[in-house]
Amino acid sequence: MGSQLIISVGREFGSGGHVIAEALAKHYDIQFIDHHLMEEVALERNLNYEELKEYDEKEKKPIITRRIRGLSNSPEENLAYLQFDYLKKKAVKGDSFVIVGRCSEHVLREFKTMVSIFVLGDRNCKVKRVMERYNLKESAAIKLMDEKDFKRKRYHNSHCEGKWGDSRNYDISVNSSKLGIDDTVKMLIDYIDMRRGKMD
Amino acid sequence: MASIFATIIFVAMFIFIVTEIVERHIISLVCAALTLVFVFGVGMQSMDAVVETLNVHSIFNSGFWYHSGEAAESASGINWETIIFIFGMMVMVEGMAKVGFFRWLCMRIAKMVKYKVIPIFITFMVLSTILAMFIDSITVILFLAAVTIELSRLLKFNPIPMILAEVFCANLGGSATMCGDPPNIIIGTSLGYSFADFITNTGLIAAVSTVVVLLYFYFVYRKDLAVKTGESVDFATLPSPESAITNKKGFIISCMIFGVTIVLLITHAQTGLTVATIGVFVAIVTLIAAGKGALELMKKVDYKTLSFFIGLFVVIGGLEQTGVLEVMAGFIGKISGGNTMVMIAIIIWLSAIASAFVDNIPFATTMIPIIKSLSVTFGVDLEVLSWTLAMGTDIGGSATPIGASANVVGIATAAREGYVIKWGTYCKKMVPATLIVILISMVVIYLRYL
Repeated sequence: MGSQLIISVGREFGSGGHVIAEALAKHYDIQFIDHHLMEEVALERNLNYEELKEYDEKEKKPIITRRIRGLSNSPEENLAYLQFDYLKKKAVKGDSFVIVGRCSEHVLREFKTMVSIFVLGDRNCKVKRVMERYNLKESAAIKLMDEKDFKRKRYHNSHCEGKWGDSRNYDISVNSSKLGIDDTVKMLIDYIDMRRGKMD
Repeated sequence: MASIFATIIFVAMFIFIVTEIVERHIISLVCAALTLVFVFGVGMQSMDAVVETLNVHSIFNSGFWYHSGEAAESASGINWETIIFIFGMMVMVEGMAKVGFFRWLCMRIAKMVKYKVIPIFITFMVLSTILAMFIDSITVILFLAAVTIELSRLLKFNPIPMILAEVFCANLGGSATMCGDPPNIIIGTSLGYSFADFITNTGLIAAVSTVVVLLYFYFVYRKDLAVKTGESVDFATLPSPESAITNKKGFIISCMIFGVTIVLLITHAQTGLTVATIGVFVAIVTLIAAGKGALELMKKVDYKTLSFFIGLFVVIGGLEQTGVLEVMAGFIGKISGGNTMVMIAIIIWLSAIASAFVDNIPFATTMIPIIKSLSVTFGVDLEVLSWTLAMGTDIGGSATPIGASANVVGIATAAREGYVIKWGTYCKKMVPATLIVILISMVVIYLRYL
């Protein structure tokens, strides 16, 4: 790739956002970062990943957490900042990558080379997708979906000014149920290409 | 009616501080406003109570700046002497940090002990104790923990034990002097004690405890601090202490200001200068020395903490004015049966346990009128109860990750570099250390004063 491209993908659980992000990374031949981010950070700093992963993309625990002058004893919060710093460093270095979640649309908002996307979906389509993907009954799929989205929302909103999924925080919000995964990817590629033209 | 309002506001304030729904200074200021309206206005309908609690008139009293004789007890309400002193110290500390004083000091000591891990461990604990006697523990740990992590990477050791030991020592050092920990400043200015009073009483307990704590941490952490064998360290890659200094002239001036401040604090009972005067002096001299950077220093002052104090004093003033704290004092007196030994045990353990979970500043502020009342009612020496309260609140906070500011800052500094300190890891070694020091404090108080 010549110029830098950062694609930030926020997603509702079951919307196919992860698959879409992966397809975009493949199309542009750039690094794909999801939950492996923590592993990468641990490797870079010679830390024990097994110890860190339990705090990844989780909200801080109230009552047993205290904040002093902007610093907190919450591992969840501190490790989130550690990942944010890592992403910023990568962006400053000029690396191109697709990043899933991790408040990336907020953390990297100052980078003009970033395109932020939020993928949502119709509830019935998402339930169907979760049932197929995880081999679950409808009630269990709904429960899992609601739990995951609740956690993502809490995590996001505790670190960012804007709200999770609010279209005002993203360059483009797309309902993957309307076009299907493949056509959503195509539509996003068109959009990203147009944006890249304007970045230059 | 007024006492019910005061109690509800006070309890609500504590709950909101613990839950951290909004920042603590906002909570305390809102609760202060509610106290002024509902406790003094609706409940007591007393303008005098408002004036007394806001306590602004005290600043215009010559005794606020200079004591010709014995230091006087301050009236209830906002303790402006504490606020002004802490403000001055914050300005000075920011000035020292800006020129690289703390980083230089840590690096200098590490070099002095030839970058050997165990000697660094011991000297950093001692450094933490001594610095925290004069400087707020947050600043001490911010710099010590950062340097510890930097050295741990270069020297290949686990930084967590060292950071935990430094945190404990910072809290312990803070207990030794009047200016070391906010509860001590509040106790000292509220009850009219001097720097010398603290150093000869809580200072002695802290000195004995430091020796025991150094041995304790050495024995529990010596294996964890073992350097991985086979990994050689290139000492040429280690940063030189001098590289920490950002402005040589400013550095020398900062050292001089720090030295003069310590002298002024130690001699304030003799010179008659109050801590408010010292605070103003320190701030003015630091700002003049900073020149163009003065505005930047002023911006870095932690106004949130200062406003938290102001709100807190008003809320506690509400409890005091309505007699709620006298009822609480009566309750403690009743449980102890008027027995001084039991009273001391209750105060020290209650303070320690409470401070392990809630902010020790509001707790100490609440307890001051209570120990005053206990002293008057049961004829117990107020000084003894004061040292008991100071040790309980200062040390109790070390027991849990949320007990004191230094703990939070140490844990956060480590975690932001990827070194997670869990509650279990923290408490496993810090709770026994806390229990040891509280027991030492209790024994020394019993043997020396009873």
